Amino acid sequence: MFTISQLFNYIQSDLGNIITYTIEHAQLVGLAILIAIIIGVPLGIYLTTNEELAETILQIASIFITIPSIALFGIMIPILSNIGQGIGFLPALIALVLYSQLPIIRNTYTAINNVDPNIRDAAKGIGMTNFQRLIKVEIPIGMPLIMAGVRTATVLNIGIGAIAAFIGSGGLGVLINSGISRGNTNMVMTGAIFVSILALIADFLLKWIQKKATPKGIQ
Amino acid sequence: MIEFQNVSKVYQGDVKAIDDINMTVNDGEFVILLGPSGCGKTTLLRMVNVLESITEGDIRVQGKSSKELNPIELRRNIGYVIQSNGLFPNMTIEDNTMIVPDLLGWDRKKKRNRFNYLMDLVGLNPDDYRKRFPHELSGGQQQRIGVIRAMASDPPVMLMDEPFGALDPIIRHRIQDEFLAIQQEVKKTILFVSHDIDEAIRMGDRIALIREGKIMQYDTPTEILTHPKNEFVSEFVGQDRVLKSMSLYSVQDLVDAFNLESSKQEVADTKMIHSDTSLRVAISMLLNQEADQIVIVDQQDNQLGSLTLNLIEKFLHREVKGKER
Ligand SMILES: Nc1ncnc2c1ncn2[C@@H]1O[C@H](COP(=O)(O)OP(=O)(O)O)[C@@H](O)[C@H]1O
Ligand SMILES: [Mg+2]
Repeated sequence: MFTISQLFNYIQSDLGNIITYTIEHAQLVGLAILIAIIIGVPLGIYLTTNEELAETILQIASIFITIPSIALFGIMIPILSNIGQGIGFLPALIALVLYSQLPIIRNTYTAINNVDPNIRDAAKGIGMTNFQRLIKVEIPIGMPLIMAGVRTATVLNIGIGAIAAFIGSGGLGVLINSGISRGNTNMVMTGAIFVSILALIADFLLKWIQKKATPKGIQ
Repeated sequence: MIEFQNVSKVYQGDVKAIDDINMTVNDGEFVILLGPSGCGKTTLLRMVNVLESITEGDIRVQGKSSKELNPIELRRNIGYVIQSNGLFPNMTIEDNTMIVPDLLGWDRKKKRNRFNYLMDLVGLNPDDYRKRFPHELSGGQQQRIGVIRAMASDPPVMLMDEPFGALDPIIRHRIQDEFLAIQQEVKKTILFVSHDIDEAIRMGDRIALIREGKIMQYDTPTEILTHPKNEFVSEFVGQDRVLKSMSLYSVQDLVDAFNLESSKQEVADTKMIHSDTSLRVAISMLLNQEADQIVIVDQQDNQLGSLTLNLIEKFLHREVKGKER
């Protein structure tokens, strides 16, 4: 039998571990998103200058996101085994970075492409270099959309990060996995609840960052 | 000074947008590029600051060919105003206005003084608008900011593409007057695109009337109205071109033409008209009035004779028709 009070008892008794798993989970996702931004935003910006490549890359990224995460881990194990990293943190990180690319690249690409051509024209006509135009005008104007992509990727990654426990990356997935194998509903529930809480906190935090990063004039 | 030397533009797909144009815009001159939609006005304008490449020929700005100059440097020395104002929504009004000085590395104090000066010029309180964003301003105010942004680093040359075209007629009229007054003071070399003959007549020192990428006539507004070179020009300026041309003359011109003498006699119960009124208004007054004559007075209220439709017709004959070849 499963009751709320039992759930609370379990959480209280195992709080130390639960918090460790949550922090592991956040670290994995946080690092993955950071790397994904560093790759995806410049790539998205670059693609606005190359229509054909943009179509190809976005297509590949859309196909990628449909690959079930379990399958992706399965594919990566033999490949990364070559460098002795078949399971653990690294394959999980790589998978999360890959899954983040579609929302981040697509939103960045769309954000920059959607800047009013008249504004772009004015920026050029005034004598801004391409880089100045990007930094001073296009990225600030595109910021809400770029950040929306980051938020989508983050929430997506927090979910997929739980599955990565299968390949030994740690995190809240550990609770869910061992809960299932031991038939411990409390553990499974706790894992699920903390994944959701993490997602809510991350989204809230990113919303706050988005608000800070978006220029006042376009809010 | 802007010199166009055998300038042509062919877009991909073989659209010949500009066809062998030669013209010169002198220092301090206000020149209107006028013509129907699609005739190539915008293309010609954008070739000056190399937003469009030049297919053939050369354009020299202040004596230098745009081919010799770095386009970024060139553009920072040419003011550019577009119809949709192109203000940056993410920047405050002050940052928008001072973007070119900022790119040029002016210090804070110099930028602030310049901003205050320019805002005063267009009748906006600098402190009220400094921290506001473009979307918080009316269309007319945004367009004023667009104009002073182009003037920010005091460039000798300005390019304006239908800058007032999106404004409603009353606001447009007011901004046109405002801008003319500013131009009296700053004497920029201006190339200004318009498709509106009335705007062209009001604003331009000279008008280049364009059709399908070719210049049909490049002349003062008076010449264009009174001596259209060909069928296209006379059709474009309209059937009422003679009436339009009347707005370019004042009653004083008529007084000078007929050497009307001033006198001090008192005439009761007659309409009076100041000698600086345009002839177009004078005609309208005569047509409206029961009286068939109006007394002309100068600034000191000296009477200069009486104005009749008959007299205007004579003037018209001398000034307009008399010169016709
Ligand atoms: N980027 C472009 N590519 C191809 N054709 C163009 C381009 N821009 C303008 N044109 C064509 O060049 C001609 C002149 O256009 P434009 O200079 O915009 O005219 P206007 O400003 O007088 O309305 C038109 O026939 C237009 O369709
Ligand atoms: Mg145009």
